[in-house]
Amino acid sequence: MAPQTPAVVMDNGTGYTKLGFAGNDSPSFVFPTAIATKGPSAGSGGSGSGRPATAQKPSFLTGGAGPGGHLSGKRGTEDLDFFIGDEALGAAAGPGYGLHYPIRHGQVENWDQMERFWSNSIFKYLRVEPEDHYFLLTEPPLNPPENREATAEIMFESFNVAGMYIAVQAVLALAASWTSSKVQDRSLTGTVIDSGEGVTHVIPVAEGYVIGSSIKSVPIAGRDITYFVQSLLRDRGEPDSSLKTAERIKEEFCYVSPDIVKEFARFDREADDRFKHYEVQQPGGRSVTVDVGYERFLAPEIFFNPEIYSSDFLTPLPTIVDTVIQTSPIDVRRGLYKNIVLSGGSTLYKDFGRRLQRDIRHLVDARLRASEARAGNSAKSGGLDVQVITHKRQRHGPWFGGSLLGQTPEFRSYCHTKAEYDEIGPSIVRRFALLGGPGST
Amino acid sequence: MLLLDYQNVLIESLLKDRFAPGATPTSIDQVVSDFDNVTFHISTPESKTKILVSLAIKCYPELAKYGAEEVLQREYGSLIVQPENGYDFSVQVDLEQLPSSDEEKTELIRKISLLKRNAMAAPFEQAFDEFASLQEQARQYTSESAPQGVREGGTVRAIHYREEEAIYIKASHDRVTVIFSTIFREETDRVYGKVFLQEFVDARKRGVQNAPQVLARDDPPLELQGIPGLKGGKGAEGGVTYVTFVLFPRHLTPQRRAEVISHIQTFRDYFHYHIKASKAYIHSRMRRRTADFLQVLRRARPEAEEKERKTASGRTFTVKS
Repeated sequence: MAPQTPAVVMDNGTGYTKLGFAGNDSPSFVFPTAIATKGPSAGSGGSGSGRPATAQKPSFLTGGAGPGGHLSGKRGTEDLDFFIGDEALGAAAGPGYGLHYPIRHGQVENWDQMERFWSNSIFKYLRVEPEDHYFLLTEPPLNPPENREATAEIMFESFNVAGMYIAVQAVLALAASWTSSKVQDRSLTGTVIDSGEGVTHVIPVAEGYVIGSSIKSVPIAGRDITYFVQSLLRDRGEPDSSLKTAERIKEEFCYVSPDIVKEFARFDREADDRFKHYEVQQPGGRSVTVDVGYERFLAPEIFFNPEIYSSDFLTPLPTIVDTVIQTSPIDVRRGLYKNIVLSGGSTLYKDFGRRLQRDIRHLVDARLRASEARAGNSAKSGGLDVQVITHKRQRHGPWFGGSLLGQTPEFRSYCHTKAEYDEIGPSIVRRFALLGGPGST
Repeated sequence: MLLLDYQNVLIESLLKDRFAPGATPTSIDQVVSDFDNVTFHISTPESKTKILVSLAIKCYPELAKYGAEEVLQREYGSLIVQPENGYDFSVQVDLEQLPSSDEEKTELIRKISLLKRNAMAAPFEQAFDEFASLQEQARQYTSESAPQGVREGGTVRAIHYREEEAIYIKASHDRVTVIFSTIFREETDRVYGKVFLQEFVDARKRGVQNAPQVLARDDPPLELQGIPGLKGGKGAEGGVTYVTFVLFPRHLTPQRRAEVISHIQTFRDYFHYHIKASKAYIHSRMRRRTADFLQVLRRARPEAEEKERKTASGRTFTVKS
């Protein structure tokens, strides 16, 4: 095997899968983690571990054919009849195919589909011979070790990969922030705010290890912002308020304002400047113009004032970050405040980081002043440094961190190789040496 | 789904993005792998509108010997630029001088994404040409009176496209023989491989009369006599398998040529892809069976018996229904 083959970095998220080679600055492929197989979606084909199909008879009674054996009766190439990614969405729109999402809440739910998804991403999209490459995969925080083992079984036994490393997404997101000029020391301590399509996680990481007990999730993320924009458009009675339009408006026009009241006043003063128009091409060739108004700054505001959108979740994001850090061990709190790293598509709004930093700093300062007052102003606090890191690689943060670490010369020594796997078995992947941690460059 | 594509999907999608009307040129710097240790480097070194695609291929000196340069010259012509340092071949596209019609653009994208295929095609094309000329020569003789050179065919072209594996191509007057030497590092893969190869060998018996004849054996075939550095043979270690494809004149007609070359090039990757896909299939059946057994076990659990429960002081609970 040639030593110079770049490592393959695969980041399989709930919504999107990011594929590419280590050393590149952006993933080669980004497509939905979806697979379209023959037959109706959801319900059938429950042959994954975890959720056995509701069988009438155990398979040995039906002559080994398996109840409703959608696989065993077929001797042809039906098992290869599937699509992944964007093609899957296309195929599922037509008849005959059902769409499945093998990853739910960051964790692999259906290993059959995942195995086929991987097989296709390696051979069809990346076009690599897995025996020649090392692989860097990602996992969400608090992934059960059994899932790691199942991943290793597939990677080593089905694909014979040369070597493999499984990294935690939050840690890779920290590594990705090293590209920012604000980061002086390349430490793996920090708080990661990972906001994607479905859910927002606040994850404290100390020296490369996730502090599992302090992780908090916020049920507000990209999709909610889209819905909020849509509802604002509908309230105003815009000519087009489809989800797609709302999403485009969210991505193109939204930003975070320092103060809503002042922002409203500014909109009223400089109406021409602030109000925008968005042209929608409707099917059938017509095009309509949608006005874009206050939702420009109101939409991302639901992170900071959730009460304008939701009635059951009311804690603002800065408060949650503060709580997370306050529940972490006391000796790492300073490091966690100093290095708050953003990751994921829903953190890309302009000035999102600045607003978050200001709000968290206010919370911290208020607490410091209160404790000084309680001490009778006899002891002065030296202050606490709060810093939110915004960097250019936020969108695919975990992938980029993986690319960064995967190209380092010592990456291969951190991997478990096929030979080691054959010697010890799947349990080998329960532990990995910390990549990019103390002791390495 | 059954066949692998010949073109590099990434190059294709990337160029399609850039060629689209209204796309803003941005800088690219990506190193991409393809099968068989081929590396592409897509970059915009001078300006954002000039995309440089470079190809590094392990056996380029061998390919060049068999006429790769002429083939690439024919395919890419004016696009060729001085190869980038560390790479074997480079083409450059200027976004400001694109063909205007969409068909031409698609054609250009397709051409560039087939860079690897075209580079590897050279020895095949040469062998096919040689076959044509040998066939012409052979027409002049009857089988008895043929001189040695014609009957034996031409020289063997060897392409060591991977560290331990190679393709050998030999043309003769009535066929072209393509021999792959493959190695399996994994015991399981070898078993799967044997089954697949047997299917290939048997394909003609099953009524696929037009298929090329396939032979698979563990020792070097006679065509390769006298080639140095061949492994395998009786009792040899390492599990080398020689897969021989015999392409008949009907596969070598000018209309079929390009298709045949594309197909046969991807043989090894196709082979490995299917071995892995079969494993995935077997695994999914194994999972299903396990789930079934687990369900049997769950059913076999005895019903929880109703026991009289007493507190420490000896009083009993009464269940009110």
